[in-house]
Amino acid sequence: MPTADLPKPVAAAHPRQRLLARLLADGLVVAVVLGWWAMAKALPANILPTPAAVAEEIWLLFTDRVYLGHTAVSVLRVVLSVILALLIGGLLAIWPANQRWARGIVHERIKPFLNSFPSIGWAILAVIWFKVSDFTAIFVQVAILVPFCLINISEGLKELDREALEMGRSFTRSRVKIFVRITLPLLLPYIVGALRIAYGVAWKIALVSELFGTGTGIGYLMGEAQQSAKPALLYACCFAIVLIFFAGEKLVLDPLSRRVRR
Amino acid sequence: MTGGRAARLGGMPRERVAAHAFTLLALAAWAYAATQVPPIALAGPWTTAKALWAFVTDANQLAHMGYSLMHVGVAIAISFLVGSALAFLAHYVPVTALMIHGRISPFLNAFSGIGWALLALMWFGATHTTVIFAISMVLIPFALVNMKEGLATLDRELIEMGRSFGRMGAKRFLRITVPSLYPFMFATLRISFGVAWKVALTAELIGGGSGFGYLFDLARQDYRTPILFVVILLIIVFVYCADRFGFEPVQRRLQHHYANR
Repeated sequence: MPTADLPKPVAAAHPRQRLLARLLADGLVVAVVLGWWAMAKALPANILPTPAAVAEEIWLLFTDRVYLGHTAVSVLRVVLSVILALLIGGLLAIWPANQRWARGIVHERIKPFLNSFPSIGWAILAVIWFKVSDFTAIFVQVAILVPFCLINISEGLKELDREALEMGRSFTRSRVKIFVRITLPLLLPYIVGALRIAYGVAWKIALVSELFGTGTGIGYLMGEAQQSAKPALLYACCFAIVLIFFAGEKLVLDPLSRRVRR
Repeated sequence: MTGGRAARLGGMPRERVAAHAFTLLALAAWAYAATQVPPIALAGPWTTAKALWAFVTDANQLAHMGYSLMHVGVAIAISFLVGSALAFLAHYVPVTALMIHGRISPFLNAFSGIGWALLALMWFGATHTTVIFAISMVLIPFALVNMKEGLATLDRELIEMGRSFGRMGAKRFLRITVPSLYPFMFATLRISFGVAWKVALTAELIGGGSGFGYLFDLARQDYRTPILFVVILLIIVFVYCADRFGFEPVQRRLQHHYANR
């Protein structure tokens, strides 16, 4: 993640430089909020609502029963889709590792196909196929996320420590044991990498599934906000996604990465 | 790997035979499925091929393809310039590093693509600007993070050597720093290209009156499923060919040329 090793050059610098860096960074945030506030005063509220109005809507997204339902559904869908995509992508990546004849099928056919398929294409086709439902939204998200997981886990398999695997084979012939005891632990950093990428793409791109495929979730709320001219809600949804994204990174992904690296 | 007799079938590696067999099987499954469901749900291969021919011979439809290419091209250029400029600023003016990599980058990285498209629609209306803006905003963090990685791996010794040979600031930058970054610049463009197509159609559907995404929206409303399939097919072929025959060979050459110095 970009933030992890950022402050290093600044941290090594002179305390005055550090202070200046922090002033610039936090000053930018304050300046943006003030600029936004000043512009909101000058522009009509249907173009740019005030920061206070947006903050109020954000609060509602996490406290109001109806809104909270939408927020929770989106979070649940993202979590479920990421897990499913990780499983399907992982299985697809592992298949040619065991049966080499399948390499062409996975890496020359399935991977480029899924990787080039437009996300909105999945969203629209899935609505035609399965109508508006929870399944549709999850199907679309999984279809969008699978290639990202497949690519990352395939990279991991390519980089696997051959010597460790050879040594494992000299101790046991059981493929399952070798997979569970050696391959999987060696793959873990790549699996967590895939998880991180899938999680990011799910919030940034795959949320399109909720815009078309369901009547619930933050994506649906965004579409509603736009159609019924509720700009404050639209802004609030955008910022709520940023907040949820950060929370997921800080509370789940970063600790997981640290554990895997150890 | 494929050298043994067992690994080959009729002179062709088993891996390739399996891949071709898979393609045929997938086509057959597609054709069969199309006979089993209403045409609105699935356009078969033959119907799609006919619609494809009608598409590529219709100047009006081709113009939309041109618009999509323009949206993607301009957005990649803008995001590359902005992302690189921010990465360079953070690298050469360290006090700005926290602001750029600690505030701007994570924020842009977490912001939803649909959010940008809907907001841009509100700000700029259904115009090219809306589409290009939405795609660019999604791509900037990719460009920024990638160029940051590139700058972090810059070969300090090489730059020191340049300095000891008396290269002046600007010359040193153009002759040593920029070429060292070629592989990363190219990787940035390649990633941007892939992501741009994923976002472009959504942005065009939400906020534009032109491009593949707009055609998609019309086809969706009129239940013209073959057009949906044609657009999807064109994008898959286009993205795959550009990556396989354009980006991949060039990137391999660049890595070979620069990475091992």
